[in-house]
Amino acid sequence: MSTTGEKNTARFGHTELPEEQQQALRKAIKWEWITIIFLAVSTFLVYLVLGNSQAMKAAWIEDLLSFLPPISFLVATRVIRRRPSESHPYGYHRAVGVAHLVAAVALVVMGAYLIVDSGIGLVTAEHPTIGGVTLFGSTFWLGWLMVLAMLLTAGPPVVLGIIKMKLARTLHDKVLYADADMNKADWMTALSAAVGVLGIGVGLWWADSVAALLISTSILHDGLKNLRGAIGGLTDTRARTYDDSEPDPVGDRIDSYLRSLGWVREARSRVRDEGHVFHVESFVVPRTWPRATLRRIEKARDACVDMDWKVQDMVIVPVAELPEEFLPGMTRGGSEYR
Amino acid sequence: MLPSMLKMGAVIPGLVLLLGLTSCGITIPQDPEGTLEKVSGGILRVGVSENEQWVQLPPTGDPQGIEPGLVEKFADTLDATIEWVPGAEHELASDLFHGELDMAIGGFGADTPWVKEAGITRPYTETTDERGKPIKHVMLVPLGENAFLLELDQFLQAQEVEL
Repeated sequence: MSTTGEKNTARFGHTELPEEQQQALRKAIKWEWITIIFLAVSTFLVYLVLGNSQAMKAAWIEDLLSFLPPISFLVATRVIRRRPSESHPYGYHRAVGVAHLVAAVALVVMGAYLIVDSGIGLVTAEHPTIGGVTLFGSTFWLGWLMVLAMLLTAGPPVVLGIIKMKLARTLHDKVLYADADMNKADWMTALSAAVGVLGIGVGLWWADSVAALLISTSILHDGLKNLRGAIGGLTDTRARTYDDSEPDPVGDRIDSYLRSLGWVREARSRVRDEGHVFHVESFVVPRTWPRATLRRIEKARDACVDMDWKVQDMVIVPVAELPEEFLPGMTRGGSEYR
Repeated sequence: MLPSMLKMGAVIPGLVLLLGLTSCGITIPQDPEGTLEKVSGGILRVGVSENEQWVQLPPTGDPQGIEPGLVEKFADTLDATIEWVPGAEHELASDLFHGELDMAIGGFGADTPWVKEAGITRPYTETTDERGKPIKHVMLVPLGENAFLLELDQFLQAQEVEL
């Protein structure tokens, strides 16, 4: 868990990170390692008391799956540091998208499997058997240990989730966000499992399967949400904010800046999310062609890049009129802009 | 995550209900089919399958061996009368599954294939077979009858088994 190569983390490809993002990245790496250590301890602990409870099994598998996002994040942050090369002119940013997709598919498959598995248990009226456990010379009900393990592992992920959520926003990192989101909701999984086990305890054999169904439904829900996001990113949807809640405002800011320039008559951009950073193509119609000097175009580009650290891979294309085919739904005759 | 409302809606009242029940003096775990209650002061139906020194079935009289001895002691603690039901392992497993037996013995190991039909106790002693493979010895109980299982587990763990 060394953070060797910290010096190299100052960049994503050829994007140099501002101080705030560098710090956030270092913290995110540290917290993801802490997450992995916590998960290693908690999965081992839960494994020891797994027994015959379906809900415990579901909770345990969710714990195991929780390893994927932090590992994906750590691998991806190493890969994207590479500079663009002749064979990878856009850099390696898509590694984040791939990591996101891998994690999402695993969640979907596991969620679906667990729903079927617990559903069968419920339909065939399987009565879960939990007997005694002998510790320090006394034999007591194993269910109590299960509940204890669940309560012990319920709290820490919530704290980890809240910390990582902030970092995900600063870094515009959707893998980190997905991870934080899952962690934040982990306490519900743990409590559901505890309720399922206690349900067995009071003689309600079905409580366990019902709790397991709830947990697996939530795993599937997580998976589908992330799958949608990951596929969206990989298929070049319009760049959205780190939590996919709305289009990223940076596109509009670039457009209104370009339009405010004296030599520009119309300007429109298309923006796609490469993982952390954006690819921006801005089409600019000059008022008169002689005013579109190389110097002015260069200056406008520098100003846009300075606007947001995510904007680095940007091109400004001077055009005679806005190319409708590249800007779907955006050019309504072009007359609405001065 | 699931729409949180749905989940919270299930979890929180569930916890409250269960905590309420436990504080009302309901012991945990309970038997869904009430086995422990039925056999206490009543009849304990025990399936027996012959297996070397563990269970011997003489032509007349009660089964002999290590496990029948343990079961007799266990029945005493519950003030129960034993009804011995001899049969092959698969018959006993099926009877347990259909609620026609309360427990079964026959020198079963913890790796018994009958885990779908029956619950198993904690291993109460360990031996090695002629190939040097360790065998953890268990008894079979009905699936999900956890109060009865815990009672038996607690009894077995407290025994010194002489081989």
